[in-house]
Amino acid sequence: MNTLVTLNIVLPWAIALIIFIAKKDIITNSLTILTLPILGVISYLTYMQNLPALIETPKWVDVLMVVYDFGLLGYFFYQGIIKKSFLVTILATIQIAFLTIVMIVIEHSSTPNIYVDNITAMFYIIVAIIGVPIAIFATKYMEYDEKDKHKFVAIVIWFLGVMNFAVSVNNIEWFFALFETTTLASFVMIGFRKDKEATNNAILALWMNQIGGVAILIAILIFIKVNGVYHFTDLLKNPTTVAMAALGFLSLSALVKGAQLPFHKWLLGAMVAPTPVSAILHSATMVKIAPYLILRISPIIKGTLLAKLLIITTGYVFVVAAVIALTQDNFKKILAYSTISLLGLMMLAAAVGTPVAITASIVLIIFHAFAKGFLFVEAGVLEKVFHVKYITDMRRLIEKAPLTLMFIFFGFLNMTFVPFGTFIGKWMMIEEVSNFLQHGSYILLILYVGAGSAFLSILYMKVLGVSVRKAHGISHAQFYPLPMRFNFVSIWYYMWLLSITIFIAPFISDFIVPIVESISSRPAIHADGLSLVMYDSVLYSWQILGALALLLLIHALPYFIKFKIDTVHPYNCGEIFPKHMGTWSFECIAKYEGYFVAFSIALFIMVVVLGGGLL
Amino acid sequence: MIGLIVTLLAPIIGGFVYGFERIIKARMQSRIGPPLLQPFYDFFKLMDKRAVMIHSLHALMGIMYFISEWFALGVLLVGNDLLIAVFFHVIGVLALVIGASSVRSPYSVLGGLRELMHMISYEPLMVLMVIAFYVVTGSFNLTDILHFEGYPILQLPLVFIAFVLTIPMLLQKSPFDIAEAHQELIGGPEIEYSGPFYEALYTGKWIEYLYVFTFIFLFAGSHYLVGAGLVIGVFLFINLLDNATARLDFRRMVKFAWALLIPMAALNVILLAL
Repeated sequence: MNTLVTLNIVLPWAIALIIFIAKKDIITNSLTILTLPILGVISYLTYMQNLPALIETPKWVDVLMVVYDFGLLGYFFYQGIIKKSFLVTILATIQIAFLTIVMIVIEHSSTPNIYVDNITAMFYIIVAIIGVPIAIFATKYMEYDEKDKHKFVAIVIWFLGVMNFAVSVNNIEWFFALFETTTLASFVMIGFRKDKEATNNAILALWMNQIGGVAILIAILIFIKVNGVYHFTDLLKNPTTVAMAALGFLSLSALVKGAQLPFHKWLLGAMVAPTPVSAILHSATMVKIAPYLILRISPIIKGTLLAKLLIITTGYVFVVAAVIALTQDNFKKILAYSTISLLGLMMLAAAVGTPVAITASIVLIIFHAFAKGFLFVEAGVLEKVFHVKYITDMRRLIEKAPLTLMFIFFGFLNMTFVPFGTFIGKWMMIEEVSNFLQHGSYILLILYVGAGSAFLSILYMKVLGVSVRKAHGISHAQFYPLPMRFNFVSIWYYMWLLSITIFIAPFISDFIVPIVESISSRPAIHADGLSLVMYDSVLYSWQILGALALLLLIHALPYFIKFKIDTVHPYNCGEIFPKHMGTWSFECIAKYEGYFVAFSIALFIMVVVLGGGLL
Repeated sequence: MIGLIVTLLAPIIGGFVYGFERIIKARMQSRIGPPLLQPFYDFFKLMDKRAVMIHSLHALMGIMYFISEWFALGVLLVGNDLLIAVFFHVIGVLALVIGASSVRSPYSVLGGLRELMHMISYEPLMVLMVIAFYVVTGSFNLTDILHFEGYPILQLPLVFIAFVLTIPMLLQKSPFDIAEAHQELIGGPEIEYSGPFYEALYTGKWIEYLYVFTFIFLFAGSHYLVGAGLVIGVFLFINLLDNATARLDFRRMVKFAWALLIPMAALNVILLAL
């Protein structure tokens, strides 16, 4: 058990180091590809162990961690000075001060510092099968006029190791260290191209995420003062006595990490970096820490005012981010906004905290990770092979890049439609909340879910609408040959999504329900063959397979079915064909963006002040 | 069992409904109108025409629209879960919009985009309506609601009104026939279809009638006669509205749905939940 966990954490760091030092194409490529089966097997073995497990760490790791902490914050401070960023410097100083106080007041605790339960094991698996393919993708991506391929791939793999470490710590002070390490990793990656825009956005990501760090430190201080404990497991033992203020600050750090409005700018800034960075930030790592953290504390905050305020805030973000996404033109920005939006939904589900809601949250985490990794990989292909970055360039993509468009189409289907995971998540949430409606008012939440999913659907249909436009009479699509590694990664994601969706009911009942059981109690969900039963409602297997068949036909059939019928020009009322046809830009909404953000700031303050009980 | 039969016969029943509607509409305008079987005559005529298409993707989407609508009706009547059925309805919209956007015709593309505005207007409201049914009857199941002793409409008057006013958006009736807009967009998403493919789209619309009016029928619970009365009353009202009003801007439609109908329905649910 200990070895397995250690391997999960240390192996990516070691591989990254080798790649970084060797700087040889053959080593980078083969080692990255090897990482996939190795990490996959190790994470699976960990999952099969007897969980949860508490693991003792030697004393020197503790000391090392403290030294590392100060070193990291010192580095941030240094970056703030040389990049002349006042915010970074001041936040680093505050953190150093708080960390010193924490070091003074902290008492030795005999609770082990590593805690591996089912959620942790799930994240190991997500990192292995969703994160590593992105590294494989990066090995090819960086060969297209980019510099420092080896360094880049090394950072990506190291980031996966950091993520694995972050989800397995029990000690919140360690969690702070790992939280800030992910900040460091994103700082390095976003600033990777070293031009002015990249540096600015990296600095932005750095100071925004440091706010989360400050919040965690404050939370630790309050925990030590009020409860005298600073381990997740200790807190979960006596949920009723835990200081709400500290939980409020922890939630704040989750909201910052999850790029919720008004802290969404850093995630949008990440798009200036090479595309694998976005892929890795959005899918398996970094932003997923946010729902992870809420899931960890969800048994404690369930039903409190803090949870309700979190629901209001994240639900608001779910809708508003989807609305703002409609006004965007940059493909990666659209994807980023939809990530922000869905992260809101995940945290909302985790904050509701009932067993079914937690199931919904985990389903969303898994499917979102797959779909977003997939979509960003395709965005990278579009960028490098087809030189398409904006949706205006996506015109007639169906003729230029049919296969890539088919993958993007499938990714989008995964984000909203029946019977894919995201739909299942929303369905569970709506059903679950309908139960509370009879005693309480969660009507806002239902409106959020209904409206947000409608907005996301029209967003995806809008983008697809531009890309499928064809001239008349084109009888065959040209399949432009893509590099092997690109195809491998795309097909990898495609097959996973497809197979999980077909077997969604057994997948949920055999894989996700045990995870939920370890956090909360057993949800009222089970599989009946391929049908999914929740309370009294049934999603029949014929519905799942039928919808899947319909959608597969819609997104793939046009490439294979050719009617042998005469073609004509569009009738178009006999008028002249326009040369270019765009799509709606929704400018009428764009002007309200400022108001949306302003309101989200108000909600944010409410979460900390009212939810944390500071008043 | 009845659900399955109705689903299988849906294109035929829908055809009769559509034929009946055309007569009603004509009588309201002091015309005699076409015979009841006109939709079927149209069917034979359209199937007999030489099939031409813009390209395969476009033609295929017309057929997929028809199949998706039919499947959604099946999910509602056979699968029995209202909430799932609402989400299935979106698949039909997807096929329609993808088809409409795939041709180089501004009428069709604009119609597709407006179709999205339709969706943003009615989709959240339909979810709310289903929740309202759940709050009243304690079940998402169609069969359970059809065995419900009371009259859901008495507890859900505002939801009922909101949904009745949403039907023009769902069925492309004036004042909300914005995506089709015969005088300006010449049918919107349908304009580029012809022959058998147009027939597929056309039949899909009949099926949507059944889908929508099933929800109206549910408002009477286990009192089927009252339910039938409601359906006929709403049917006549929608046609009256269609004849009596002029088309609105799509912005007005979205505003109307979001500023009036959705709050109205939400208020009803809140009052019930309290």
